[in-house]
Amino acid sequence: MKYLMITEFKRNFKSLILWTSIVAGMAALMLLLYPAFKDAFANIEDFLSVYPEEFLEVFGLGDGGLDMSDFYGWFGVEGYLFVNLIGGSYAAILGGSILSKEEDDKTIEFLLSKPISRDKVLFGKAIIVAVNLLILNLMVGIVLLIAFTIFGDLNVPVWLLFSFAPFILQIIFASLSFLISIFVIKSRKVISISLGIVIGMYVIDLISKLTEEFEYLKYITPYEYINAVTIVKDEMIKPIYLLISVLMIGVSLTCAWYFYRKKDITT
Amino acid sequence: MIKLEGLTKYYKKHARGILDVSLEIKQGEIFGFIGPNGAGKSTTVRTLLNLIFPTSGFAKINGLDIVKDTIDIRKMVGYIPSEVNFYGDMYVKDFIDYACRFHGEIDHIYMAMLIEKLELDLSRKIEDLSFGNKKKVSIVAALATHPKVLILDEPTSGLDPLIQSQFFQLLEQEKKNGTTIFFSSHNLGEVQRICDRVGIIKEGKLIKVETIEDIMKTRAKTVRIRTKDELELTEEMIQVEHINGYISFVYTGEMKTLIQLISKLKIDDLSITEPALEDIFMHYYEREENK
Repeated sequence: MKYLMITEFKRNFKSLILWTSIVAGMAALMLLLYPAFKDAFANIEDFLSVYPEEFLEVFGLGDGGLDMSDFYGWFGVEGYLFVNLIGGSYAAILGGSILSKEEDDKTIEFLLSKPISRDKVLFGKAIIVAVNLLILNLMVGIVLLIAFTIFGDLNVPVWLLFSFAPFILQIIFASLSFLISIFVIKSRKVISISLGIVIGMYVIDLISKLTEEFEYLKYITPYEYINAVTIVKDEMIKPIYLLISVLMIGVSLTCAWYFYRKKDITT
Repeated sequence: MIKLEGLTKYYKKHARGILDVSLEIKQGEIFGFIGPNGAGKSTTVRTLLNLIFPTSGFAKINGLDIVKDTIDIRKMVGYIPSEVNFYGDMYVKDFIDYACRFHGEIDHIYMAMLIEKLELDLSRKIEDLSFGNKKKVSIVAALATHPKVLILDEPTSGLDPLIQSQFFQLLEQEKKNGTTIFFSSHNLGEVQRICDRVGIIKEGKLIKVETIEDIMKTRAKTVRIRTKDELELTEEMIQVEHINGYISFVYTGEMKTLIQLISKLKIDDLSITEPALEDIFMHYYEREENK
């Protein structure tokens, strides 16, 4: 399994560098824009006050929400969303393609004719997905650490949460895509469906915040689990959401394992 | 060494798989598994490797069950697939190393000999190789691990005649070392050349298992004659067809009798060739039906 993992890591390394650069770069860009906007925020608050409360809630700017003149509030509204959307997309693509690419390229026939069990193939690839996502978040974490230290007073719990909460969201999307890739062989199709989930969940997140009628939807969207407002205001992720996250990941991976070990490889 | 007992595989969506295939292959034997495309050769190979699961029946390799003990089986099996699909972005050297590492220690001396014999360029990327060269990579990766069993699915497609010949020499060497070889092919000629016994599969069913000597005895020839005279037909002439002034048929009798018969004709053109595999099947089918 060691060689499978090393080879898999090498094969995905270039895309890891690319996606890490994009995500960390977007975070850095947003953080660098803060000083330029800082002075204008007093007026922005007045400007925003003309909007309905529901609209502001959607962006975490309502009552009890984030304050954009505060550095963490600025990142929570502007940078964090990009980290989650782009990082989530990378997770979905990586999780969805790491196994289906083997079937799409028909290399799975080679791999499974070698003395390595399907469990190990699945487990090894899942670990590589997690390792890649961890590296991405570590890099983003370093960018945030530098920025938070320079521009504001470093609040360690908030920094840690901003750095690693996206990891939870990414692992959820990667696990769901991983499960989909057991059933859908064409990796392009898997990626389309997975990216649909990443965007769809974000839309559901917006809807759940827009009206109380749909508030219950917040329980199914990972964006809510790692909400920036809770991170900045309460310095935590709600335990119920952590529990749901673990369940989603656990169920997805268990189902993937269950179906993959009995699957006919008919490439 | 290899035993299939009532091995059956139905695919979902009603695609044909294999039905009730039973056969036994001894250690050190080269067994030809022959049939046209879609007959069930690859299904049988994939079932043996547990890439797909049998619907019913079982198979054992060296006493180990293909489903339960698949990892132990794969440790001793070298596999050459019909379509070679490897990781295009890897260099040949890295790929062969990777393939062999699954089996533990690598015999570098033997590997170097194989690479030299098959004239394989290690410094190229897999994606830059021709189909034939990819096949060579596959052969080296399969043989370098000193397998006890070789499962070959149309291994010679894409190889030039010289390399094919080298490959057959390697297989004969493997046989001498006691390796059991399951050789799936749709090329009757190469099966005749290398195999001890042959199993013929058609539409998922194993219709015949014979030694090469026996199949040679019953071997038919395709005869094509251009003549204006009337040829006296015998029961050894099957699948008789008249096309564009030619009469063609598959002849299953004594060559001497045939020559006597056609020597009476005024012949404009004549060819006696190896029959197409389909003709052999028809020959067997007609024999089965006549029984």
